[in-house]
Amino acid sequence: MSEDGHPAPILTAHRAGLLGCRSCGRVWPQDRQTCDRCGADLVPPDRRGLQKVWAWWAAGLIMYVPANLFPMMRTQTFAGLQGSSEATILQGVVELMHYGNYDIAIIVFVASVVVPVAKFLAIAWLAMVAGRPATVEQAHTRLKIYEVVEFIGRWSMIDVFVVAILSALVQLGFVASIHPGPAAVSFALSVAFTMLSAQSFDPRLIWRGLPLRSRTATEGQD
Amino acid sequence: MTDTPPLKPASPVRKTAARAAQAGINVIWLVPIVALIVTLGIAWNAYADRGEVIEVEFADATGVTPGETALRFREITVGQVESVSFTSDLSRVVVKIRVDKDVAPYIDAEASFWIVRPQVTAQGVTRLDTVLTGSFIEGYWDANVTAPQDHFVGLDRAPLIRVDTPGTQVTLSMENADGISEGAPVLYRGVQVGRMENLRLADTEDQVIADAFIEAPHDKRLTTSTVFWDTSGFSLSLGASGVSFNVNSLSSVLQGGVAFDTLVSGGRPVEPGHVYVLQPDEETARNDILASESGEPLRIAMLIDDSLQGLAKGADVQFQGLRVGQVTDLAVTLDQPGGDIRQAVTLAISPARLGLGAEATPEDALAFLQQAVADGLRARVASAGFLGTSLKVELVEIPDAEPASIDLDAEPNPIIPSVAGDLDDFSASAQGFMARIGNLPFEEVLRSATDMMNSITAIASSDDTRAIPEALRQTLDQTRGAATDIGTMARDLRDNGTAENIARLVNEAAAAAEAVKLAAADAPAMVEQIDAAAAAVEEFNFSEISAQAEGILADLRAMLGSEDAEQLPRNLSDTLEAASGLLNDLRDGDAAGSLNDALDSASTAADQVAQSVQRLPQLIQRLEATAARADGVLASYGDRSAFNTEAINMLRELRRATAAFGSLARLIERNPRAFILGR
Repeated sequence: MSEDGHPAPILTAHRAGLLGCRSCGRVWPQDRQTCDRCGADLVPPDRRGLQKVWAWWAAGLIMYVPANLFPMMRTQTFAGLQGSSEATILQGVVELMHYGNYDIAIIVFVASVVVPVAKFLAIAWLAMVAGRPATVEQAHTRLKIYEVVEFIGRWSMIDVFVVAILSALVQLGFVASIHPGPAAVSFALSVAFTMLSAQSFDPRLIWRGLPLRSRTATEGQD
Repeated sequence: MTDTPPLKPASPVRKTAARAAQAGINVIWLVPIVALIVTLGIAWNAYADRGEVIEVEFADATGVTPGETALRFREITVGQVESVSFTSDLSRVVVKIRVDKDVAPYIDAEASFWIVRPQVTAQGVTRLDTVLTGSFIEGYWDANVTAPQDHFVGLDRAPLIRVDTPGTQVTLSMENADGISEGAPVLYRGVQVGRMENLRLADTEDQVIADAFIEAPHDKRLTTSTVFWDTSGFSLSLGASGVSFNVNSLSSVLQGGVAFDTLVSGGRPVEPGHVYVLQPDEETARNDILASESGEPLRIAMLIDDSLQGLAKGADVQFQGLRVGQVTDLAVTLDQPGGDIRQAVTLAISPARLGLGAEATPEDALAFLQQAVADGLRARVASAGFLGTSLKVELVEIPDAEPASIDLDAEPNPIIPSVAGDLDDFSASAQGFMARIGNLPFEEVLRSATDMMNSITAIASSDDTRAIPEALRQTLDQTRGAATDIGTMARDLRDNGTAENIARLVNEAAAAAEAVKLAAADAPAMVEQIDAAAAAVEEFNFSEISAQAEGILADLRAMLGSEDAEQLPRNLSDTLEAASGLLNDLRDGDAAGSLNDALDSASTAADQVAQSVQRLPQLIQRLEATAARADGVLASYGDRSAFNTEAINMLRELRRATAAFGSLARLIERNPRAFILGR
């Protein structure tokens, strides 16, 4: 994005008095209300917009708690005569490891625990540092993390997909059946909320905290 | 990227930011708030619905797994076992069950719990599903909430009747519980309407008590006049009508069962817990009048000094010869310490049977008996039955009885005064009965019968009987011999030829001829008799009953055996002997002068003989015809009958007699003179 070496300050749209469209990327003068090209509202980057991020993030975190406490999947064998087993995500991982399926256990663990937790941490960190003064390298790191979070968000649904597919496939009636547990819904909501949270994050804020050699640093704070 | 205007945020930007901030705060934060509320709500629900923990004690925890074993109520899971532990003395296990909130309030002190496992019983295999699923704990409680409780003692096995099943529980008391097991069916006309349970020994009496639960709506068939009987196993009875073999359902063979029926109407509806006496079999039950009578019987006791051997429970109590009750108990009692040992017989008397009406109560019956006792009514033991081998109790009026009254204060039952029964020989009567049977003169009777049969046989086969025709023949033979003698005599006479002998001979011959003539004169009469008899035989309607024919034959036989018939040859013989003597005299004396006269007379006599003899063939023919006809008729009577045999024998004799007559007649006919003169 910025091409020069360190002495040249990076010119952001904000500093140029322009306002970028979040949908199509076109910049407009700051007094424009809507993007003429794509019709989207033009919203100036603002730390107040981080409230959205935090709100979705909080909702996602709240839903993540039951997603881990409630059973993910209810397996019934012989119409429940031989017993039905219910397992939360972590119980499932432990069970898989108990049976020696370490690879699958790792996949499930990574997809269902590591990634969501990392996402929560990443978004929280991004939201906290957004708009704060940063070096260009720091800004680049934040942007990469943001992109990774955006990319990986949809893959967090892998556990929900597994449950959904198994529930649909393993309906052998009397012999065995698998039903999604309450955790599946919670987990799906949690993932959805974190995705919304990541989407709500305005990456333009990353650049708001860049150091200004020539101008005053007070400009970053609103 | 164009030239740089003064880089200063414009006011619209600020406005926009402010607007966004105002809008954002209020709206977007609703999402996590709602999420939090929902999650907390779910968590609260989960916590609140966690239910209550109850503890149930069991002897063991077979198949109970914490976290898996369910508590079911009407086959719906309402709880789960949380943990299993021991009681402090390790004798039992305590199962902690978390019960769903909505049913927990109903689990009160009346609730019962048991572990359901697969069971193989006489009634079949039950709960086979628990083989796959593993055991579960079943609980049962009703909708009435009484005292809440959270510690229970589990049952060892499933109760047969659920607490709130509609129906009536009655109590059956029985002598012993042979063949009846827990869960045995209660049948009404072969349909199972209930179950037996709680088989137990009575605390006080020497009885077995069982509860019978009759399900609604069948329980309304129970009245106070219902009788119960045991249908367990099978029964084999040998009676006058043959062997009777009764088998009920296989289930009742294996685990027994009881049946009931209400034999008479008019009973009152029963209260739960009504006590019935279980009768050993249906016949007894149907004969049990106390059970079949409506109303409570009057229980009264009598004291007896005598031996009561032979008096059994259930023996009749008779009043005026009618059965009014039965003996329900026999016991030994002591009047006072050290006093006489007496026997107390408890009688149950049906007030209705005493003629006091269907609504009579035991008090009415007691009042009636009090009055009767004042008038001399007494109880006594008497022999009963055809052979006197059992005893009954009689209520009889003893005219000169000492005044007495019913002892109303006696416990447990009033005591009716009694008199000694006439039972001295009773204890020996069973033996006496056998002795009487033994003394019956079976052998003598048989001997007499044998003798009689022997006599009949002997008479039938005696020589005398058989000799009758023989005697006739002998007689004829003698006659023939006599005739030969006459011939010899005549030859001698001719050889000697002396006149005086001839004269005497002629005189005597004349006399002899006269005698012969007389005898010959008898012959026609006899012949006429035979003739008449033959005619009677001829006229006789043979198609009539056999008795008449038999009578005719008897007549014939009598005739043949009559003196006339017998005397004919004998007269002839006598005459010829006399003639022979006469000729001997003639041989000596001079009778030539009278010879001719004598010969004339002899000739006349001979002619008469010949004349009479000429009628013999006719007689013989008729006899033969009669015999032939009789033969024919008798043949129609069949070969085997005694009458026929007799008749045939008779005819054979008759024919033989006829033949003898025939030969006699032929001899006389051939040479009538030779009859006299020997030529």
